[in-house]
Amino acid sequence: MKKKFVVVVLILSLGTFMGLKIKVDRIKREKIPGASIIYIPSGKYLKYTTFGYSSLLADLIYLWAIQYYTTYTVVNRFEHLDHIFSVISELDPHYLDPYEIGAMIAIYEARDINLAYKILDRGLEKNPDQWIFPFQAAHYAQMISRDYALAREYYKKTMEIEGAPTITKRLYASAAYKIADYQTAWDTWLDVFNNAEDERVKKIADNHLYQVKSAMDIQAIHETIEKYKQRYGRNPANLSQLVRSGILNILPQDRDGKDYLYDPQKGEVKAASIPWKR
Amino acid sequence: MKIRVIASNTFKEAIRDRILYLLLFFAAVCIAFSRLLALLTVGDRVKIIKDVGLGSLSLFGALMAILMGTGLVYKEIDKKTVYTILSKPIHRYQFLLGKYLGLILTLFIMLLLMSFIFLALVFFHSFTIEWKLLIAVVYIFIEICLITAVALLFSCFSTPILSSIFSLSFYLIGHTSWGLENSINKMNSGIGKILIQILYTFLPDLENFNFKTEVVHNLPIPSEIFLYSFIYGTFYSVFLLALAMLVFRKKDFT
Amino acid sequence: MNAVLKISDLHKSFKSGFIPRKKEILRGISLDVGEGEIFGYLGPNGAGKTTTLKCILGLIFPDKGNIEIFGLPHLSLEAKEQIGYLPENPYFYDYLTASEFLHFCCQLTLIAKKERKKKIEALLRLVGLESSTHLQLRKFSRGMLQRIGLAQALIHEPSLVFLDEPLGGLDPLGRKEIRDIIVRLKEEGKTVFLCSHILQDIEMICDRVAIIVNGEISSQGKLKDLIAEEILFTEIVLSGVDDQKLRRLGDAVFAHGEKILLKVYQEEKIDQVLRLVQSEKGTIHSLIPRTETLEDLFVDMVKKG
Repeated sequence: MKKKFVVVVLILSLGTFMGLKIKVDRIKREKIPGASIIYIPSGKYLKYTTFGYSSLLADLIYLWAIQYYTTYTVVNRFEHLDHIFSVISELDPHYLDPYEIGAMIAIYEARDINLAYKILDRGLEKNPDQWIFPFQAAHYAQMISRDYALAREYYKKTMEIEGAPTITKRLYASAAYKIADYQTAWDTWLDVFNNAEDERVKKIADNHLYQVKSAMDIQAIHETIEKYKQRYGRNPANLSQLVRSGILNILPQDRDGKDYLYDPQKGEVKAASIPWKR
Repeated sequence: MKIRVIASNTFKEAIRDRILYLLLFFAAVCIAFSRLLALLTVGDRVKIIKDVGLGSLSLFGALMAILMGTGLVYKEIDKKTVYTILSKPIHRYQFLLGKYLGLILTLFIMLLLMSFIFLALVFFHSFTIEWKLLIAVVYIFIEICLITAVALLFSCFSTPILSSIFSLSFYLIGHTSWGLENSINKMNSGIGKILIQILYTFLPDLENFNFKTEVVHNLPIPSEIFLYSFIYGTFYSVFLLALAMLVFRKKDFT
Repeated sequence: MNAVLKISDLHKSFKSGFIPRKKEILRGISLDVGEGEIFGYLGPNGAGKTTTLKCILGLIFPDKGNIEIFGLPHLSLEAKEQIGYLPENPYFYDYLTASEFLHFCCQLTLIAKKERKKKIEALLRLVGLESSTHLQLRKFSRGMLQRIGLAQALIHEPSLVFLDEPLGGLDPLGRKEIRDIIVRLKEEGKTVFLCSHILQDIEMICDRVAIIVNGEISSQGKLKDLIAEEILFTEIVLSGVDDQKLRRLGDAVFAHGEKILLKVYQEEKIDQVLRLVQSEKGTIHSLIPRTETLEDLFVDMVKKG
């Protein structure tokens, strides 16, 4: 066959199929998101089937996942988020980024905070030395779902891991305070106060101790006021009346030694100072 | 006419090749295995059978095309049977086309056999002959025609092992080029982006022939894609065959 | 002379090795083959015989030079219709039977469908394979493959037949049969181009020869022109004579048991030998005058090249 003829056919067919490719690309086809990945089975045997390339495979799937989940045109793409990140974890449990990113996607894109917890829990389970996972989980609990009890648990877990930042303790104490677990809060802040590494931290601890003490005291005083009300049918005119009536032994003072302020009309007690303005 | 002679001879030789039947056996095993999987799944059982079945057809069809295609021309050169043929009054392009068409015919028959087993199994589960599945099978065949053309091209100048690796790479690239598309969209405009776009358009897009998901989930398929994919497949194959001819026409058989 | 095959200034080199080094195989081959003659193409291993043949058949593309077959360009289909080729160490599709294979070959040429069966039978008979008509080629012996190769080269009755080492691997009886077939072809008016190492056979049947050494034709022409007709020496095998006496008459006296082989270079000395044997009451077993053989010419040419 003449060379010229073959070359002409070559160029024509090249042009045609390239042109068609552009055309076909524009046709919208319904996609089942992640259809190809769904059949990767998860489970402890997955690693053995990948012939030693499990770490590489984990990288590739992770890369795919990032591309996929940031492609906003694919709606309903979160159906298999859990599965995919569990597969990545199976293949390379010590690959830390996917846990964090997976949780982030779960929260900000899929709006499924429980999935985020699940992913971070898994991260901690496979990597018990990584305090970042419960730390992040605590933050999510605190900032997004305002679930301080859960946050407190996570802070506790974080604290138990060596190398956790010192602020964890303080966050733990704060969380405890938020759920009104004043005893834990006090104990922890006291610990921080006694072991403070510098003046700044000591001051912070001091302020918080003030706050907790105030809260505890005010709670106690309010209980007493209730008892007074039950007995005498009205609010006490001032706090010393509580002592005189015998319901309260000693009138507690705040950490600075000042008295608490009392509003007899509302029956409310307040601390004398704002903790961080002392 | 002479193309037909070579084609029928190639067909006779290919249909006797044990590799085909080995792969056919494995395909049948996979399809049968899907029945087992179907028992374990909760919900729509037939779906797994369809998915595994179509997947097997596609995978084993591609393997057959690669394993047999890479030996097509190489074996003739290696065993020197090509001397006798090309010294006769026949053009080299007729020889090439004959080999290609002979193998395509063989693969068509193999695919037909596999489809029969597959449809039979689906029938046992859903008690209907699901003709719609054949749409996916037809396009699997077109994909196989493309892969065979690639294997033939490499067979003209490379040993079977290397050719198989190249053909397999072609297959993998063909199924993952959409990843390149995603990356292009995130690139900054410029010369680099244009070059990569040209590369992307040139690389084979075997996903154009992939209707497995749509057929199994009963999703609507836009009708123009049938025609365009078909033409795409045809012209890409023609391109590869023309390339093979260019390589083969001035080859010295030492 | 009507040149059936005309090669002019054929050049071919190959690049080989990791760092491509050009190796010249054919350095300007020119030869003519006339109609109706048996042409012998000889040369030591690696000289370029097979390369030349492959160039003629379109299996290799020369760098330079021109090849014409019956005046047509050698790659054209019309030219190919008129030639037949038997490759060295033939290998064919081994799952076909003899008749299926010949049938396949017929389909590639212009033989009419209804004539195929007749021709196939005739040819199988010619090469002595009619008992193996339905035997698969994979079961053929080397000699049988050679014969079926010859059959496929002749099936379409080509006017020019190329045979590459057709007599290799055959027993003496087989060689005689093939030689007879080749001579018969000549009688039918066909031209034969023969590559062979077996010089005795070439000498027996060829009209013209060309000797290729190191990619060049070192001599070409009619056999009888190339080989001098004069007698080189006479070999006499005798017994019963004291070999000391023979030493003056001839050269290189070898004793083999009782018999002595004497090479006599001068014609006059032959009579002296005969008279000596008579007088000593010895026996002459044989007396053979030796002319230059093709082998001598061949070795000579190779040494020069």
